[in-house]
Amino acid sequence: MLIDFILLFLLAGVPYYLLLEKIPFIQKDKIFPIAALLVITGMFVSCIFEHKSSMPFIVIAFFASLFSLYKANETNNLHKLTYYILFFNAPLLIMLNTKESILYGASLIIALLGVYLMGRYYVKNYGSANYQSVTGMTLVSPYAGLILTVYFTALALYPPFPNALLFLNGILKSEINTLWYIVVVVIFFGNFLIAVRVMAKTVFGKPNDNVHYIDISPTERVLHLLIVSVLLLLSIIGLQEVIS
Amino acid sequence: MSLFEKLNAIKDTVPHYWPIGAFIHHNPLKGFEHLNFKEALDKAQDTFGGKVYMDSDYYIGLLNEDKISAESLEKNLLKVLKEAHLEKYIEQAKTFLLEVSPLWGSYRNYEALKTSKIDETLHNYLQTNSLHQDKEAWIGALTKHMTLYEIHDALFETSKKELIEKDVIEFIARFLDQQQTTLSMTDRDLGMFETFKLYENIDYIIDAEEFVQEALDTLKVQDVQTYFLTHLLKLHGWAGYIKYRSEAKEYYAQQVHPSTLMDYIAIRLHFEVKYLQKKEVRDFEKLQDYIKNNTSYVILKLLQEKGKLTGTHNDAMEEHTAHDEIVADYIKDEINLDSLQVQLAQQATNLQTMTPVEFADFANLLKKEEGYIWLKSLEDSYINIHTDAFTSTHHYDEKPLSSTVFCLDVRSEVIRRKIEQTGPHTTYGAGGFLGIPISFVEFDKPHALSLAPAVIKPNNIVFEIPTEAHEAYNIKKDVKKTTKKVLGDLKNNPYTPYIMVEAIGWLFGFKLFGKTFFPQKTHRVFSKSKPLKPKTTYTLDKLSPEEIEKYVKRLHTNIINEVLATQFDTGLSSADIMLLWEHLVYDKPLKIRISSDIIDNLKQAYHITSEDYEIQKINLAKVGFTPDEQIAYVENILKMIGLVKSFPQFVIIAGHGSCSDNNPFESALDCGACGGSISLPNARALSMLANREEIRQGLTQKGIIIPKETRFLPALHITTTDEMTFYDTDILDMNELQIFSRIQEDFNKASRTSREERAKVLPNANDEKDLFTKTMDWSEPRPEWGLAGNMGVFAGPRDSCRHMTLNNRLFLHSYDATIDNENADILTRIFDGPLVVGQWINLEHYFSTVDNKVYGAGSKVYHNVVSKIGVYNGNYSDLKIGLPSQSVLEEGRAYHEPVRLLTYMEAPLETVAKAVENSVAKQFILNEWIRPVVIDKVAKKVYSYEEGEFIVIKELD
Repeated sequence: MLIDFILLFLLAGVPYYLLLEKIPFIQKDKIFPIAALLVITGMFVSCIFEHKSSMPFIVIAFFASLFSLYKANETNNLHKLTYYILFFNAPLLIMLNTKESILYGASLIIALLGVYLMGRYYVKNYGSANYQSVTGMTLVSPYAGLILTVYFTALALYPPFPNALLFLNGILKSEINTLWYIVVVVIFFGNFLIAVRVMAKTVFGKPNDNVHYIDISPTERVLHLLIVSVLLLLSIIGLQEVIS
Repeated sequence: MSLFEKLNAIKDTVPHYWPIGAFIHHNPLKGFEHLNFKEALDKAQDTFGGKVYMDSDYYIGLLNEDKISAESLEKNLLKVLKEAHLEKYIEQAKTFLLEVSPLWGSYRNYEALKTSKIDETLHNYLQTNSLHQDKEAWIGALTKHMTLYEIHDALFETSKKELIEKDVIEFIARFLDQQQTTLSMTDRDLGMFETFKLYENIDYIIDAEEFVQEALDTLKVQDVQTYFLTHLLKLHGWAGYIKYRSEAKEYYAQQVHPSTLMDYIAIRLHFEVKYLQKKEVRDFEKLQDYIKNNTSYVILKLLQEKGKLTGTHNDAMEEHTAHDEIVADYIKDEINLDSLQVQLAQQATNLQTMTPVEFADFANLLKKEEGYIWLKSLEDSYINIHTDAFTSTHHYDEKPLSSTVFCLDVRSEVIRRKIEQTGPHTTYGAGGFLGIPISFVEFDKPHALSLAPAVIKPNNIVFEIPTEAHEAYNIKKDVKKTTKKVLGDLKNNPYTPYIMVEAIGWLFGFKLFGKTFFPQKTHRVFSKSKPLKPKTTYTLDKLSPEEIEKYVKRLHTNIINEVLATQFDTGLSSADIMLLWEHLVYDKPLKIRISSDIIDNLKQAYHITSEDYEIQKINLAKVGFTPDEQIAYVENILKMIGLVKSFPQFVIIAGHGSCSDNNPFESALDCGACGGSISLPNARALSMLANREEIRQGLTQKGIIIPKETRFLPALHITTTDEMTFYDTDILDMNELQIFSRIQEDFNKASRTSREERAKVLPNANDEKDLFTKTMDWSEPRPEWGLAGNMGVFAGPRDSCRHMTLNNRLFLHSYDATIDNENADILTRIFDGPLVVGQWINLEHYFSTVDNKVYGAGSKVYHNVVSKIGVYNGNYSDLKIGLPSQSVLEEGRAYHEPVRLLTYMEAPLETVAKAVENSVAKQFILNEWIRPVVIDKVAKKVYSYEEGEFIVIKELD
């Protein structure tokens, strides 16, 4: 029971970001690292302490997840979006078996890390991670557009990106019940909708004449290449897992 | 001022749009030609948005390639600086243009803002001059050219615009349809607004103007004229087409389905009222109240809509921070960023002797003027090179065996040069319609084509009639027509395509496969199935009144016979048909028994009436030319090009056209001077006239003696492949044919070398053979470069430019000023026809290149043909005006170099001045929409027209 409670908190099952958002000295861009760190801690904890996913906690996490979905659809800020997506996926992290949960969580955090870094690129060049006025990236900043496309396609659960494969692996290997159906369907479509909404707004569309576009620097490109390589590695692992 | 007057006052702001089947190149800013070019461009930018000059990066690239000379740039820059008394900063101004300006946007840098100190004086200065101080004016500027529904969308995040414009497009596309669909809208003959009333259940008696007034009252619009313009600009392609139709009284579609801009406005306003009627802000008074109570919120939402609200402020909006606070922060940030931009630019320009405030003004001046400075420098650089070449001395004394008159089109330049290089041949250039404007009814076609520039309305009709039996042709043609009709009906009917694809779709797979992988072989196979047109001639002589009478009577009696046989299953003798006809036309008492149904049907559906009888007689009276007209047309063209003596044995009159597959813009590649059609009929008509003995006698009296052995032969120049096909060669005897075959060989060689030269600049063309493939490749978006690259026109003797390699970039009109009269009539005619067409072509290319999204048609990839009148994107969008990006850009970069038409005239200055004064082109010439350059070899001076006067730019030796 205690371990379930701890894992519920660590694996982002409760939207504690509401509190963090209210604390003045914690800026929005700090919440994702904190949340990601806690999720990683949760992964370790779930590895160390044997446990079985508890239905009531999944239900709590699911309602919190729906709230995060609402929040994700209300924001145009990439930094906020990273932790909203993380919290949105929490029921799955809690519901899946430990190994599958860790693998899916890892691919989710890696893809969100990419988005988070892209948010920093937005801050640097456009003043904030808010992408509302920064439209049509693919046409004017092709590298940034491509990288965003990769991350959000992964988050939208398109195969062969690791999120999709590990999501499939997770649900194939978990116990099926009514809640399972509800969670899987909501998380699957929710991820898709969030990711596509962002892509439609900032990756595609008509470039904004009021914005001076700057593409990502060579150093940043290398960093993102590393992240994409890790995603590729996870894809291979995901494929192996699905086949096995 | 009535609503019609208010609409008329602004309608010319919208560019004319001609149906795509007869694509007419045009100046999209024609409505601004009463203004000076530079001033007009500023105004157009304010109206349409978008760019009117290329970016500075582009011009810097041309400077590095030496296409823009450093001297020209310095001269034009200095002029601007002198006017502002800043000439001592010429070096810094150059640095600004070349190094600072391309990075101008990047100086508004958020990262740098965190670490930079903002100059207080500069900050205060920019703040004082900022629009943000007056919130009412600020909102006014933000809502300029916005409809009420767009403002509503911005304020309340609704999608009324999408709904309204979809409904508007759906209705007008169906109403304006020209048989693209098999299920046409009914009752269209009532007119656009009356039909609309039926479709929207507006069941009270009201005309379009009253309806518009009602809607304006409901919306409580204050400035009606501006609101009309705002609405027209929303879908300016559709508005431009409806404007064209409403002004083209002879346009058949307009005659049968009339529409006006007032109808269009009524439809738009109807939907606006309908979609806003239950909303909180449903009229402008309510909007004003809303703005008054929520000023800051309104500003922020409008800024957001325009993409002007930066990230941090969008975050603040999301977090529901107080709106007044966000607006204050926004203003502060904007002024800080503006100040930082000036400060960083000043550092980069290394101009520390100026105060930041002075530099802000200096930078503003250069940013405002740089587009025009670069453009004029580019034009001046070309003018310098060209005038040097035009005035260098060359002599060509060899007596030619043939002279070929080509269209002045830029695409004739290479082939003309190659022909001249292959043997004793000379060439001339003239407007493609050859000064002989005709309404041409092609053999086996039901409608007349206007083969003249869009500004000229032909008064003569020419019919093409067969001179040999053509039964085989008729059979093949009928089979083809029926198959096409059946397939078309199956394809365009909303229900049948599903079955059709399943049943016979696979048959099309052969053609699809062949056209994709073996385009040449497939083309050869399918062209064999095409019916071969019989030999034809033209009706060039006027009909006598008796003949006219006879033909009209025959037309009517044939219709009566056909109607009786097919619809009423009744047969009458010839004498009875004649009696019936006399009853219908002359209202004579009917001596035979015929049902009143038949008589009513013949009168109402087939117009067998006295009125139609008179109309047909008037129409037939237009067929052919009077003897005087025939002589005048031949005389005019010969004098226009300066071919009045030393005639060679063969004078070839070449029309031109283009070949491509799956290309809705095909007619844009045909002859612009023939209203976007192939100009062969004009060439044939002119050759036929010039070969007539009586015409030559008439010309002799006018001082033009054409030797008896001289033969005029028509030809067709295919601009995609540079092939030349000769027509009517059966007038030649055996000896002449032998000599002519030598000419053909030379021309074939010229065609090949011309293709070789052109293949070098066409993407995906390795050798001259690839040019043939491009004409039949259905996936080829660029069958030829067409008129892209056009930059100027030369009116003068061919000898002055024969030595120049102009790479298909200049329109070449032959002109001999020594045979022009005191009134400069010949030059005036060149100005009135070819120059007007040239300017339209040039400016269409200019604007489609500088901003293809606003003035062009965008990428061909997304185009769908709509209503057989044009193209739009996807399922519904504005009708695309201008040229597609593939016609002017290559891999996103400009292939066409946008400059104004460099108009070189080799003539005395006085002659040019008279021609300008007398010409319809006077307005755009004097307002500098072209760059006139006069090469006066008599006065030994070259003049350029700049800012209202001719200035000497070169003295000749």
